Formats: sequence, structure tokens, C-alpha cells
Amino acid sequence: MEKFIVELKHITKEFPGVKALDDVQFNLRQGEVLAFLGENGAGKSTLMKILSGVYAKDSGSIKIAGKEVEHMSPTKAQELGIAIIHQELNMCSHLTVAENIFLGREMTKSGVLSTREMNRMAAEVLQRLKININPETIVGSLPVSKQQMVEIAKALSVNARILIMDEPTSALTSAEIEELFRIIHQLKREGCAIVYISHRLEELQFIADRVIILRDGQYVTALEYSSTNLDEIVAYMVGREITEKFPQIECEKGKKILEIKNLNAGRMVRDINLELYEGEIVGIAGLMGAGRTETTRAIFGVDSKESGDIILDGKKVFIKKPEDAIKAGIVLAPEDRKKDGLCTKLSVADNIALPNLDILCNKTGVVNMKKQDKMTAEAVSNLKIKLAGDYVDAGSLSGGNQQKVVVGKWLARNSRVVIFDEPTRGIDVAAKVEIYHLMNELKKNGIGVLFVSSEMPEVMGISDRIIIMCDGRITGELDKKEATQDQILKLATQFEKK
Amino acid sequence: MEANKKGIKKLLAVRGMGQVLTVTVGLIILCIVFGILNSTFFSGRNVGNLLRQIAPILLIGIGQSYVLITGNIDLSIGSVVGMSCMISATLMTKGVDPWMAALITLAACLAVGFINGHLVATCQLPPFIATLGTMTIARGIAQIVNGNYNTDSIGESAKGFRDFFYYGKTAGIYNTILIAIAIWLIFNFILSKTRTGRHIYAIGSNVEAAKLSGVSVVGTTVKVYLVSAFNAFLVGIITCATAGMGTMDAGNAYEMYAVAASVIGGVSTLGGQGILLGTVVGASIWGVLQNGLQFAGAPVAIRNIVIGIIVVVSVLLDVVVRTGKFKKKSR
Repeated sequence: MEKFIVELKHITKEFPGVKALDDVQFNLRQGEVLAFLGENGAGKSTLMKILSGVYAKDSGSIKIAGKEVEHMSPTKAQELGIAIIHQELNMCSHLTVAENIFLGREMTKSGVLSTREMNRMAAEVLQRLKININPETIVGSLPVSKQQMVEIAKALSVNARILIMDEPTSALTSAEIEELFRIIHQLKREGCAIVYISHRLEELQFIADRVIILRDGQYVTALEYSSTNLDEIVAYMVGREITEKFPQIECEKGKKILEIKNLNAGRMVRDINLELYEGEIVGIAGLMGAGRTETTRAIFGVDSKESGDIILDGKKVFIKKPEDAIKAGIVLAPEDRKKDGLCTKLSVADNIALPNLDILCNKTGVVNMKKQDKMTAEAVSNLKIKLAGDYVDAGSLSGGNQQKVVVGKWLARNSRVVIFDEPTRGIDVAAKVEIYHLMNELKKNGIGVLFVSSEMPEVMGISDRIIIMCDGRITGELDKKEATQDQILKLATQFEKK
Repeated sequence: MEANKKGIKKLLAVRGMGQVLTVTVGLIILCIVFGILNSTFFSGRNVGNLLRQIAPILLIGIGQSYVLITGNIDLSIGSVVGMSCMISATLMTKGVDPWMAALITLAACLAVGFINGHLVATCQLPPFIATLGTMTIARGIAQIVNGNYNTDSIGESAKGFRDFFYYGKTAGIYNTILIAIAIWLIFNFILSKTRTGRHIYAIGSNVEAAKLSGVSVVGTTVKVYLVSAFNAFLVGIITCATAGMGTMDAGNAYEMYAVAASVIGGVSTLGGQGILLGTVVGASIWGVLQNGLQFAGAPVAIRNIVIGIIVVVSVLLDVVVRTGKFKKKSR
């Protein structure tokens, strides 16, 4: 009989209207990295929340280190050494690194904080992980990757033995990911068990020992990583084989739709020139912080421009705010759906209607509910959004479905140019393919598609032309046929000589 | 029967209706209790008075609800009520035609709303601070217009004005009540059926997403503060008509009453949630408690304590009903 540090059996959890988990099993060995996989909404996060005591299970058993735990709570989970590193980091950004590490269990001497002692101990933990951060730094001033490491250090300083990492790499650059993997390997050597949740399957080869797959709230299988391959894993996740990871269609390159001339907006957008034609998808590649998002925001009028012209269908347009861009026919599906894309407390229908109220309202500004219902129904069916009803909160949907709403709200109107910023971040393979199909559909209809992505295979797979940015400048442009990963990377790291 | 069921289902599908129904039950219970304690509670005369007491709270509640749903707050409401009362009364004692006086007052009040909106949306000041400032300024203006004295009686010439806003009846119902109903109908329609209403909810739910969807955040924010100032103006005028004079401390603490009416009715102080039907119920609970406790002979101090408790309990009740338990704040 194999010994497991975590053993979950017959876990069932229902939310009003949905069975999130149905008789699921899960186990974890000491000192292994377990890749916990499944599509968005498969129930991974729910199960991990049950394991860490955030949700109560409806039925089933939880065994930690061989001992049955009847009522798991966050406090209990902490005592048992379970820690989650969340997708959205849970840090007090105004406090220092050490203050965050010791949050809730501050050390005191007769009621006065022992700041120096805490700084020293925080430095120790950080050093053990070979993380180069000063414990007195304010957390908010650190980049996301470092914040994440602080969170790992925090977990370790409370002697966590079971670490759950939910999409830890979704906001990291490749160098930062390497650093993270180094830390994961070290944790493993120290005997930590790690549950690793990610949609970036290519990463698994560097860290995973074993794989557990969920689909639609049900347990599918557990595999040794060495005895499987990515195609098999994807087939288990989706329940069918995905034949085309990057579907592409050929279109005739038509007339010029958009031209950006000498666009400048702050340090991250410098002298940008680009053109976009009918029937093509232009990918913008680059490292994190290359100024891609800033460029799209400047075009869309979110951030103010210092100079530059935007020429749409041969006519110069003036875009000072997003309203102007939308009116002109340029729309942007932003990168961070929780922060920029969705009103999570409003319904799916309200979200889809929001940028299209000009179409849905009569002259006096009264919303035509019939039109709205029709628009929502069309968007939901075109994008295959899974919903209990059009009027559920957008925030209650799974990540992939949320992303589809963000994209869907822009497709309900006739635009000339659609800009996608990281449209597939943190969503599963099947949902990704649906988004690609959608982009292809736009391309076929003669709409210009600009597409920012940090995932190299995706940029190369979907774009007809690739523009590479580095340090706020365009450093190169490659045709799809001539582009290679090496070339893109070389251009993406062409920093200015200082 | 079938149609009835469908109607109920549709009613429940309206966002925020759940909380409204919960507090409506509370309101009914309160009415029954006061009815038993005092048989004259339900007398025609008291009901008329009660509704007249509720009207101003409802009006400022509507304004505050608008602001709260955008995720902001308006602390200047009470002072604008005071300002409205004092400016209009002062002008009338100086012989200005009451309607002309009201018009000038309206302009002054809307100016405060306009400034509030721009301080919050254009200058990006925290709404608490911005409206704390304008609250103090508006109160100062209320004091200064008549040289730091309450005004004399606004006189016989203002009788028509006083009847229109307080003493008169139309079709057997006090005008004040009719004004409140009309205002509610208009603003409820705007909030639930128009583009501006959608924008208000969107800003409260996620201001960044709203901006990126082409919503004019500045314009909409200014609009909600204008609505709030407009309603405070109306209440100030009604107060002036009621008393027949201007008092410098008119509307004192009204901004908080307005928050209470909104919050009891299910409007979230965090923005994005709530409906004006809730504000009606919230304002009614407020009025019924004031009136009922007064009838039951409770002193002002006891009334304050009870109402404070009700505010906390009603919000707590909503949390319990929604989550089924006292939810632990997750870290």
C-alpha cells in the first residue's frame, strides 16, 4: 500500500444549480510535483478550496498524512501545513516583505513589534530559497514574480508541507519561470509535496512527476508523467482529440485598414509605426514589459498619446478616449479580465450590452430589452459560453467563459479593427481553439485583427504577420513563413545600448 | 395561476429583489407591531403624516443610492438641504418671488453637485474627502446667507409655495408624497431602463472595465452627484415650506439617514448593487420607526438607539440570508 500525504475520496460538492465535483478522488505523495489538470470549470479550484478549508465538502473523506480530517477550515489547513499560492496574489501591497511574511503572527516583545527580529527571520527564509529580496522592501513595489516568491516564502515560514500553486506562471516572463522552477525543485528536495495547476502544458516536462486529470467535475485518470505525452493528456482533458491546436485559414490580403504613424505615449510606447490589412491577423510578440499592452491602450485611447496619427480606412481619426475609438470602429478586449474586462457583479447580459448600448438604446436612451436578449443569445451561442442563464453574475463563470464574455461583448457590433490583448491567458485548450476560430472568423469577414500574446507557439500559429516589440519600440517584423522562435526571441531582446 | 407564477419568477429575477423582499417582510412586521401597540397608528391621519415623514428621507435616499451604486458616497447631502432651505427662505424674505427663489436655489445646489462630481471623477479625490469638504462649505453657505441667523417667516406671499410643497393636497393626497412618488418613478426608470442607468451600475462594479467599454466615467459620475444635489434641493425647499422659514441646521445628518435608507434597502456601499425599490422600503422602515416609536412614547434617545440597531441588523440579516450562515472573512 502506497503512502500518500493527502488522500481525498468520493468528494462531492454542489453549488446551487451545478454539481461542481462528483465523487472525485485525489492523492498526493510526499516530495512530488503533481500536475493537476483539467479545463476551465473542471473543478480543480473547487477541489483545492475544499482541501484548504475554504469550501466545505458535501460528502467524501479527507485524509492528511493518514489521519481523517472531518471539518477542514483555513486555520486547520494551516496547522496541517497546507498552503495555497493563489492565482491572484493575496498580499498587503502597502506593507513590507517581512511584514507580509509574518502577517497574523507578528513577533512581539512585551507588546512591541520585534521588527528587527522579523526582518532577520524573513531574510533567512528568503536566503534559504536563494531569493534575492530585501525583507524591508514594500511588497507593492516588487514585480509580480517576486511577490509570488514572497508568498512562497511566507508559506514555508509557517512550515507548509503541502503547497498548492494555482497558475503560478501566468504572469511571469520566461526567465522568472525558470527561477520559479528552480525553487520548486528545491522545495521538492526538502520534502514538500506540490500541487501544480497550470494551463501551460509545455511547462510540465520541467517539473511534473505525476498528473491527475479532472473533466466536468469528475475524476478522469492519474498518470505517471514519464509514461505519457502531451497529446494523451490533452485528449483526457478535453474528452476528445484536438486535431488542430492552431487552426488557420487562408485569406486574400485586402486593402489597408489601419495605419499607425509615429505613435508616442510615455516611455513604453515610442515611435510605433504599423499597418494592418484586411484578411490578416497581426501578432504582436515580445517579453513581458515590452510595451505591447501600453501600445494597444494608447491606440484605444485609454492612455493619452504624446504624438502620432491613427489612420482608419484612409481617414485620420482622433482618439482621445475609448468612446472615440469605439465610435470610429476600433475595439480592444483587454488583458486582465477581472481588472479591466468584466463587471463581475453584473450579469452576463449586462456585460455584453455595456459597450453596445448605443445600438441597444432608442433615441431617448431607453434600453430595448428585446434587442438586448437577442444580442446576448447570439453571443452566447456563437462563443459556446456555458451558462445557467443570461442573467447570472459574470463573476460566477469559470475563467474561460469569463474570457469569452470579454471577447463576446466586442463582437456584437460591427467594428473595423479588433485588438486582442492576451486573449487566451489562463484558459484551457478547447476554449483557446474557440477563440482562435473566432479570430479567424473576423479575419474572413475583412476585419483587421491585432493580437498581443506572450505565448510564442500561439503567436506563430495564428498570426499572418508578426511584429516584435522590445523596450517600447518595434524591433522587427516577420512574415509568418520566415518566423522562427529564435528569430522572435532575438528581436524581443534587442534592448537599447546604454 | 400559471401566469401568476411566471410573474413571480420574473420579479425574483430582478437583481437585488431578494433583499428587498426580506426587508419588506421586516417592514410589514414593524407596522403590525406598532398597529397592535397603538390602535391609531393605522388611522388615516397618521398614515398621511407618516408618508409625509417618509417622503424627504426617500428623496435624499434616492440621491444617495445613485451615488452609492457608482461606488462613491455623498456626504454633502445634509448641508445642501440646509443650503437650499436657507437660500430660498432668505430670498423670499427679501421679497423675491418664491418660484424665482426656488430656481436660484436650484442653481446653487446643482453647482455643489457639479463640483462634487468633478472633484471625484476628474480630480480623482476620494469621494469621502471631496464631499466632506463640500459638506462643510455648503453648511457654511447656509449660515452666511442670512448673516448667521435663521430667517424670519417667509410670509403670506409664499402661501402658494408652501401649499405646493407641503400643506396642499391633490386628489386627497399630500403634495409632498406625490412629489416623492413622481421623483421616484422618474429616477427608478432612468436607473433600471436607460443607458445612463447601466453606466451607473457598470462604474460601481468595475470602473476600469466600464471605461474600456466606452463609458464616460466623468460624465456619469457628475450626473449621479447632480441627482443627489437635486434631491437634496427638493428636500430643502420642502423643509422651508414646512417651517415657513429658513433654519441654518436644516438637514443636519441627513446624508447619513440617506445612507441608512439605501443600505437597509439593499444598496451596497461598495457599488454596483441595489435597486431603488429597496430605497423605498429602507426609507419606509426609517419613517415607520420614527413615527411608531414616537407614538409609543419613546424619547428621542431611545429612537436613535433603536434605529441604529436596525441599520446594522438589516444589513447583517441580508448577509445571513444570502450566505446561509455567518461567513468567515477569508484571509
